[in-house]
Amino acid sequence: MMRNDPIKHVFIWPAVLVVLAISIFPLIYSLTTSFLSYRLIPPIPPRVVWLGNYVSLLQEPRFWNAILTTTLIAFISVALQYAIGFSVALALNARVPGERLFRVALLLPMLLAPVAVALVARMIFNPTMGPLNQFLTQFGLANLPFLTNGRWALACIIAVEIWQWTPFVILMLLAGLQTLPEDVYEAAELENASGWQQFWGITFPMMLPISAAVVFIRLIESYKIMDTVFVMTGGGPGVDTETLTLFAYQEGFKKFNLGYTSALSFLFLVAITIIGVTYLALLRPHLEKRR
Amino acid sequence: MLRRTFLMLATSLATVCGGSHVYAACSPDYTGVTLTVASQTGPYIASALKLGADEWTKKTCGKVNVVEFPWSELYPKIATSLTANDATFDLVSFAPAWLPDFVAYLSEMPKEMQAGKDWDDVEAAYRERLMVWEGKIYSQSMDGDVHTYTYRKDLFDDPKEKDAFKAKYGYDLAPPKTWKQYLDIAEFFQRPDKGLWGTAEAFRRGGQQFWFFFSHAAAYTNNPNYLGAMFFDPETMDAQINNPGWVKGLEEYIRASKLGPPNALNFSFGEVNAAVAGGQVAESIGWGDTGVIAADPKQSKISGKVGSAVLPGSDEIWNAKTKKWDKFPAVLPAPFMAFGGWQIAVPKAGKNQKAAWDFIKTLTSPEVSGQAAITGGTGVNPYRKSHTANLELWNKIFTPVEAKEYLGAQADSVNGKNVALDMRLPGYFSYTEVVEIELGKALAGQTTPQAALDTVAKEWNRLTDEFGRAKQLAAYRAAMGLPPKN
Repeated sequence: MMRNDPIKHVFIWPAVLVVLAISIFPLIYSLTTSFLSYRLIPPIPPRVVWLGNYVSLLQEPRFWNAILTTTLIAFISVALQYAIGFSVALALNARVPGERLFRVALLLPMLLAPVAVALVARMIFNPTMGPLNQFLTQFGLANLPFLTNGRWALACIIAVEIWQWTPFVILMLLAGLQTLPEDVYEAAELENASGWQQFWGITFPMMLPISAAVVFIRLIESYKIMDTVFVMTGGGPGVDTETLTLFAYQEGFKKFNLGYTSALSFLFLVAITIIGVTYLALLRPHLEKRR
Repeated sequence: MLRRTFLMLATSLATVCGGSHVYAACSPDYTGVTLTVASQTGPYIASALKLGADEWTKKTCGKVNVVEFPWSELYPKIATSLTANDATFDLVSFAPAWLPDFVAYLSEMPKEMQAGKDWDDVEAAYRERLMVWEGKIYSQSMDGDVHTYTYRKDLFDDPKEKDAFKAKYGYDLAPPKTWKQYLDIAEFFQRPDKGLWGTAEAFRRGGQQFWFFFSHAAAYTNNPNYLGAMFFDPETMDAQINNPGWVKGLEEYIRASKLGPPNALNFSFGEVNAAVAGGQVAESIGWGDTGVIAADPKQSKISGKVGSAVLPGSDEIWNAKTKKWDKFPAVLPAPFMAFGGWQIAVPKAGKNQKAAWDFIKTLTSPEVSGQAAITGGTGVNPYRKSHTANLELWNKIFTPVEAKEYLGAQADSVNGKNVALDMRLPGYFSYTEVVEIELGKALAGQTTPQAALDTVAKEWNRLTDEFGRAKQLAAYRAAMGLPPKN
């Protein structure tokens, strides 16, 4: 078969059409629904409200609270995942004793289901029966309201996110570190560059492209957090730990408010897109410098 | 050849005899039928369904597959299946409050099941009120639910405690008649240094929290002078949840949260039971499971010391019509039928409807349900007259004194003159979600009780308008047992 043989269209287009139908149709359906007032329970006939759902959402303090909570979880946890992950990856790359064991052990959290991790965390943070508070009270400290106070609950969720997803960062950065050329470091050592100078002058800039990719992936994934919050706090106390996805779940699958939930999903999509585009725009000059 | 023929004849005869034997054991014969039931995650209710399933299998040779979902997932799973008209579930077990949302998709109970000895044995509060929707029966109660009061008899009967309590509060230590007394008792027994706390209630969002709050508020808002006005004005459908009666209920609920173990704000009903059975608290309110679990020596440290009573009440109840407090000559208990007990129904789309209703008959029979009611962890509480009348049955788990108090509290609550029915409305979760959120804020001290309930009332009125005020009013009146408004 020649490269320009028209028969290729017979093989390509059905697959393309199937993919388009599967990915585009739900989006169009969801977009259409977002312009309707449409409740499944109690059943109310759909009625066109155009941008009504979007306007209601933008005026809804709970929506803004969910945005803020999700952003806090995403940015704080990803920043710490990156800092800790980079440090551990550097240590593993330096061939510390028992490096292989560490490498496997550190990957374990990432392999666990988030629901299971959240359940274990809920037990650990249990104010009376949990081992953490029992440990703290050994030193005469008061029981801490880990999951019943808004700020503490948010901190606990962030801690669990860091524990579970830092291994992913370690794995990716370690792979990157192992591809860095040795001769650059040898040259730096001939110039008597300190370890700190080598890190800021060589390692960090050369790792920037992979770092950008890792942080981008984790940031987007963190914005989608749902299971951990659902199990650990259910979004409470009040709505202090309610994330965007949990808010959408409550509206969609508890109240069956489909129009409103579709609008919420699209606003979520817009928010993620803005964050992603801004992030890449900010990084572009630095990345281009490295080319 | 003759030998072979004889062998064939013998085999055929054996098969026929064997077959007729199987047939005789299956009555009615549902061999090959497998019923799928949606349930909340066990042991509560799911284990009761399995108990009924075993009996039904023995009787009919049919099989029952109990599919379990976490409490928070159950409503969406059932609702999705029903609205899609699929036949995923042959039976669904659910909260009575969800009935208005589900009723359009459920089949009516066969008329022959709505008569007879077993039918009359179901307590009137369930048979005539909770199982009825617009004059028709679409579901069967498989559990009775009313909040009652549980306390530690060893503490209440201790002469030293009695004297100390009287010296401090000026009246005798006994099961409380009012919520003020309930809080006094909780305060008196609040001794964290000795591992003893005052009370345990559910305060966790998504942990059955709002029913406990409703139990407090029922005493001040379920006014016999203006029937059915606890949640909404039955004339206008205006939300009543921010009236002074509700605010008082919330203030006391918040106070109770401070008289519990340090993690009380994270308590769902399961943790309440654990705290009571662990002897951590002096008193508690909740469903009948608390008493059964606390009496079980395998699960409890206070077995043999469990006391029960009707919920506290009030001699002042807010009148939503006159917008004033009505004074009563004596304290009037308002036992709250929180949740109202699990119900089970057959979806219209189900492919085995006859078998499904037959399963319900077995499951809710006095014998099977009676066994479930005395088995700790099934989540089944008395809902038949025979459940509370058969003292012998209960002596298996309670001491005679415990049994008498427990059954007395259950029967007096369900048959109470001023029993308060739970809210049942289309869009139930939309109404209760905002309650949970605002309760969380009020419990955490982020807002005042009045402000929290004002927010709830505003949202309830908005939801009522969105769903259609006339339609919601008609549903509310039906749920409260009031005649349709002309």
